[in-house]
Amino acid sequence: MRSDANRRHTFAFRSLALAVLLACAPTLLRAQGGEPRYYAIRGAKVVPVSGPPIENATILIARGVITAVGKDLTIPDEAWIIDGKGLTVYPGLFDAYTDVGLSGATLPPAAGGGESGGGRGGRGQGGDRSMGPEDRPGTTVWRNAADEVTLSDKRIETWRSAGFTTVVAAPKGGLVPGQAAVLDLGGERAGDLVVKSPVAIPLVLQPQGGFGGGFPDSLMGVLGYIHQLVIDTDWYTKAEAVYEKNPRGVERPHYDRSSDALADALADHAVFLIPANNSVQLRRSLVLVDRWGVPGIVYGGQMAYEVAPEIAAKKLPVLVNLKWPEAEKDADPDAQTTLETLRFRDRAPGSPAALAKAGVKFAFYSGGIATPKDVLKAAKKAIDAGLAPEAALRAMTLSPAEIFGVADRLGSIEQGKIANLIVTDGDIFAEKTKIKVVFVDGHKFAPREPDRPKDPPKGDISGTWKLAYTTPQGSEGSTADLVMSPDGTISGTVTNVRGTATIISGYLSAEKFSFTINLPIQGNAADVTFSGTFENGALKGTLSVSGLGFSTDFTGTKPEGKSAMQAELDAAQAKVGDLR
Amino acid sequence: MNRFRAVTTAMFVAGLFSCAVARAGNPPDTVPPAPAAIVIQNATILTVSHGTIEHGSVLIVNGKIADVGLSVKAPKDALVIDGAGQFVMPGIIDCHSHIAVDGSVNEGSISVSSIANIAEVLNPDDINIYRDLAGGVTVANVLHGSANSIGGQTQVIKLRWGQPASKLPFEGALPGIKFALGENPKRSNFSFPGQAKRYPATRMGVEETIRGAFTEARDYQRTWADYRKRAAAGEKNLIPPRRDLRLEPLVEVLEGKRYVHAHCYREDEILMLLRVAKEFGFKVRTLQHVLEGYKVADEIAAAGVGASTFSDWWSYKVEAYEAIPYNAALMTRRGVNVSVNSDDAEEATHLNQEAAKSMKFGGLTHDEALKLVTLNPAMQLGIDQRVGSIDTGKDADLVIYNHDPLSAYAVVQKTLIDGRVYFDRQRDIAARPEREKEKKALLEKEKKAGEKKPDATVEIGKKPAGKPDEKKPDAAKPDATKPDDKKPDAATPDKPKPAQDGSLTGGDL
Amino acid sequence: MNRLTRFARFVTFSFSLLALPLVTLAQASAPAATAYAITHAKIFTLAGPPIEDGSLVIRDGKIAAVGANIEIPAGVQVIDGKGLQIYPGLFDSVTQMGLREIGAVSATVDETETGDFNPDVVAATAVLPSSEHITVTRAAGITEVLAVPASGGMDSFGSSGFIGGQASAIHMAGWTINDMLLKKSAAMVINWPSIETRSFDFTTFSIKEKPYTEAKQEYDKKVDELADWLDRARHYAQAMGHAGPADYNADVRLESLAPVVRGQLPVLVFADDARDIRNAVEFCDKQKLKMILAGGLEAYKVKDLLRSKGVPVILRPVLTEVQQEDDAYDRLLTQPAELSAAGVKFAMASFDNSFSRRLGQNAANAVANGLSYEEALKAVTIYPAQIFGLADQVGTLENGKIANLIVTNGDPLELTTDVKYLFIHGQITSLDNKQLRLYEKYSHRPSSK
Repeated sequence: MRSDANRRHTFAFRSLALAVLLACAPTLLRAQGGEPRYYAIRGAKVVPVSGPPIENATILIARGVITAVGKDLTIPDEAWIIDGKGLTVYPGLFDAYTDVGLSGATLPPAAGGGESGGGRGGRGQGGDRSMGPEDRPGTTVWRNAADEVTLSDKRIETWRSAGFTTVVAAPKGGLVPGQAAVLDLGGERAGDLVVKSPVAIPLVLQPQGGFGGGFPDSLMGVLGYIHQLVIDTDWYTKAEAVYEKNPRGVERPHYDRSSDALADALADHAVFLIPANNSVQLRRSLVLVDRWGVPGIVYGGQMAYEVAPEIAAKKLPVLVNLKWPEAEKDADPDAQTTLETLRFRDRAPGSPAALAKAGVKFAFYSGGIATPKDVLKAAKKAIDAGLAPEAALRAMTLSPAEIFGVADRLGSIEQGKIANLIVTDGDIFAEKTKIKVVFVDGHKFAPREPDRPKDPPKGDISGTWKLAYTTPQGSEGSTADLVMSPDGTISGTVTNVRGTATIISGYLSAEKFSFTINLPIQGNAADVTFSGTFENGALKGTLSVSGLGFSTDFTGTKPEGKSAMQAELDAAQAKVGDLR
Repeated sequence: MNRFRAVTTAMFVAGLFSCAVARAGNPPDTVPPAPAAIVIQNATILTVSHGTIEHGSVLIVNGKIADVGLSVKAPKDALVIDGAGQFVMPGIIDCHSHIAVDGSVNEGSISVSSIANIAEVLNPDDINIYRDLAGGVTVANVLHGSANSIGGQTQVIKLRWGQPASKLPFEGALPGIKFALGENPKRSNFSFPGQAKRYPATRMGVEETIRGAFTEARDYQRTWADYRKRAAAGEKNLIPPRRDLRLEPLVEVLEGKRYVHAHCYREDEILMLLRVAKEFGFKVRTLQHVLEGYKVADEIAAAGVGASTFSDWWSYKVEAYEAIPYNAALMTRRGVNVSVNSDDAEEATHLNQEAAKSMKFGGLTHDEALKLVTLNPAMQLGIDQRVGSIDTGKDADLVIYNHDPLSAYAVVQKTLIDGRVYFDRQRDIAARPEREKEKKALLEKEKKAGEKKPDATVEIGKKPAGKPDEKKPDAAKPDATKPDDKKPDAATPDKPKPAQDGSLTGGDL
Repeated sequence: MNRLTRFARFVTFSFSLLALPLVTLAQASAPAATAYAITHAKIFTLAGPPIEDGSLVIRDGKIAAVGANIEIPAGVQVIDGKGLQIYPGLFDSVTQMGLREIGAVSATVDETETGDFNPDVVAATAVLPSSEHITVTRAAGITEVLAVPASGGMDSFGSSGFIGGQASAIHMAGWTINDMLLKKSAAMVINWPSIETRSFDFTTFSIKEKPYTEAKQEYDKKVDELADWLDRARHYAQAMGHAGPADYNADVRLESLAPVVRGQLPVLVFADDARDIRNAVEFCDKQKLKMILAGGLEAYKVKDLLRSKGVPVILRPVLTEVQQEDDAYDRLLTQPAELSAAGVKFAMASFDNSFSRRLGQNAANAVANGLSYEEALKAVTIYPAQIFGLADQVGTLENGKIANLIVTNGDPLELTTDVKYLFIHGQITSLDNKQLRLYEKYSHRPSSK
């Protein structure tokens, strides 16, 4: 049973990666073909981050590596010279936690996770629902971002065009989705992007699948489960060792894919990524790292303004989510916002300054901000709230490199480091600054906006949509959670029986919309694009699947929302009864 | 409104927002000071343990009750509270609470959820802590829900509003575990469409679920004992048993290191649990709700088990249909240690009134009624050496009322924990305008920010804008969980971004 | 025999069991030409100042005389009220009395009809005269209640009804519902819709925020639907007026709305949030409906509107969880005092059945938080009577009124006060009930030690 499930998954992901190569390599080859490998940027202002800015300096790049930085360097003849007059060179920006570069496809939330259900605590009536820690709910530690790189992710280009040359990308779905890797946002094959893997194991401390979805369905259950997983992994390694030494007469420890993969990742110095945003969660995370005895990094960190000194005392690095809390757009005018929420919205951007002051090592991540330009704007808010611009820049370059143990190759402009650079016509945080050139692994890219209609969006497509269509398997439905930024860019997720996938590109232009997800279909990664028209509150259009050449019509409607109270009572009645 | 549905909903919604929003900042924003000495003078002192002292005084030194009587010798630097016409009683102890929990109070999936631990998800910013304080509650037994025959681990807390989670637990109080019998664990009143019914579905199955778990626990206990023996004997190549976080708390129960608090209603299931406990040699510490306890009061008394019940709830389900408001009095008369609990944040704000009802229903004396929410629950939680009565040497957990607390006309004036005034009615009222002002200012600021255009650029190396010093938490006072930042900063630039979740939960990509 | 029928048998069986002792109880309240006099008691008539040493005469179910020096007619049964006090019986003006026996067992719940528009359903039809709740509740001094359909929040299926049906005022004793009826149709229940920007999505199992404009549209649609029903009811009422039955299609629902649009039957509108209340008041004003507000947790925010429009309020218990996180902890406790000072007419009610006996406790808590004692007493006696047009029958102790009254050993709002005698319809009514019987039964259980 178990091993079957495992094989199925591994196969799925291998063939997925394979498919990606076949699908994407040619186009990219054409884009990058026959380019030089030697560059010299001359006479620019260089901000190395590792040191003070150097005016009128030169940078030499050879075969993907920075060979020299300084004034009056002799430029080799083979170098392609870029005149840096009036330009500024920064290290490529680093998004410390995202799923850019991955398909964003996850396992169906209903499934227990790696192992199949029917464990203890319920007389085996779990069905596909997890009935205990031994079912390893929502755990797919063996998944690895490096194996799930999807070159067809349009965000690779949009992110890069905005100056992001490096990301820490992590699989999504479940409580322990898998291993995160450091990726460079440029390359001809999926493998080219991988700088280091694994670097971290993100944890998601939120119950999955709702009530009735099996164990765990509460925060305390989730914590109990992670504790047990850590203990089991430790036990598994020790037991294996003892058994290997002398198997005779000793009961064989059973293979546990989750513990096995987790043990290997930890042996490779991967660290836990622990979600903690408000003060309660942040203080809790300080306790958890001690209990687990595994090195940890906090992600979230937006209420660090309250607990920075305590975090500093524990020497815990923090990844700060740049998606600052803000009031709902088109919110209920009479809705009561609590003082605490208002304070939080007001002070959250002050967290980086607080962390800096307390001496905590921190980095920024995009936290699901749809358009990379907004990531820089969000960082600017932290500066306005008291963070030194240098510190802000560092939090998007050298600091994340240090936190994830790749500062020896990334994060600053120094001789010998990977040539990830951005050349701008002004200060990186200035509203009107343009990025002229981006270097990734010494490859030169001209930033370009994704081609798409430019008309301003008609109306707001944001919200939850029920999409209905027919596939060869019969009629199917999906739920699309769309978020539209003022310029019409659509981000969000699409959920259906196959799982949840992040939207890798999308827009609303006038009444025309289009958004694309990437899913493993029949074992292959395929782009699924929903496009059509958004008129009088409904979606109408075509769903097309790349590669399979399959397409079908679909309609999208907003579900007649029950009143929250009513629905809550429904659910409460349907579920917990009176379980006090 | 239908109370049990209301509570259910509240619980359920709490469950939805698994990473509960950090709520704080209700008055007082910061932890009150702890004066070296306080003396409450000329008040009616309801000691609970040794009668009532008219025009008496209580002296508090370093958070403990230093003296109580008609007159006490107070150091002259002592803070004086004039208790003329006021009533002082021990802080109310709520033996069944679900406040201060981050996320769902139920790990409702499985029938034995002992792996879940309330102590790990305490939420010190739950506004209900403050509201219950304002109702005179100083100690709460925070329990896991009743979705499982054997539920999660529980935690006794002091309502130290404004302190971080680490400061809430009642020092030295033995941890507990929740059991639940009857309709809830057997899911009588709901089911999931398209799902096989969970085991157990009958009271018979509930018994066997508990017996099964403790049989496993006993076996687990032996396995470890055996391993330790062999390891001690120097045996090589031993593989240690796998630690099981689900069974460890049950072993603690067997070893008397963890209290069992069992949600129950019907007489039959009460006797069942007493049998099972006897079979496995552990003690049930309290029967919770125990609405039919009056039918088997002698058996409960004989087993030396405490009973914690409602004042007058009934008929919200079949097993509550024979509930009677005389329950507390009847069990008391039969020699059971009885407490009256809330099980609900609002009910907890008037437990003094709920206790008073046992004078009408069953004729308890004034002191007996007071004990139901003070000394008795203290005994049930094994903390009566520290709290539950006004005696020299005990913690200064006190409530000051303007009337006899066993009346519907009594209003809490002050609530003290460890000699700190955590709730003060006057201070609360005085703080309201200030909070309103701050709220208005912040809303204004957000509005302005929404309209304002992005401002000039900052250059690397230029001076940072803003006033960082106003933003940093007060490092000097590690206790100060809420920095007192009343001065709103200059409007921040940038237009509001697309609608996004303003909740304080983190971690989503 | 399938499980369902077995369960049905079980329920009916257990109910028939419970019904037995009720016979004796009901007998006590059977109308019979009896006369009583309670003498030397302190009488709180609520129609004037308390009478220190007064007497009260009851004849043929009515109050025949009340005063300081009235003569006691011959042949009446005299009760010495020395050291006792007489009050009008308490009136709980929003309950599910007799409509809900065991909350979790839907077979015993007749609270909320399915569907949004049920103006024709009448509470009295489903009130179970032998409900244990009636005997338990009246022992707390509650002599009449309003049984209100669709008032217990959502039912098990999340439906709360829009037009919920007709509320019935009933006495808390009687052989049959006919004996119990005080007013069969006392008000038409409307659950006012809210503008809900938060909705629950079952596919993703999470609460979704939807744009306000969208939520507002859904709300407007609902309100238009209600307006449409009222329009059709108006035309229907006209047709009923001058056309013969043949000229219009008979419709029970429109027919039962006729007294509403004619302004004869008040609408009991459930709303708690200030905005909902404001919207409801404006709507009823425009539609010329006689509005009574029920709930009113945020009534203090619109007190001026309520006073100026003369809309009376039936307040939820003050012992209810405070709504907004930032609200003062005593926000609901102090509201009655605030409304009273603002001149808003209000009654207090339990909005429940099993907690109906906490009516007095809630009133006392309002007094503890600033409401005058007399206003509190009136808010659970004469005010609800006035609001529902029953003041000529109950609510005070005056000649000619129905003798629904209690004789106590103290303040009826206080937790520890006992009701010594209970009169409903002028009959001494038993204080016995299921809970008292269980108490006595198990007090006498031989010690097993």
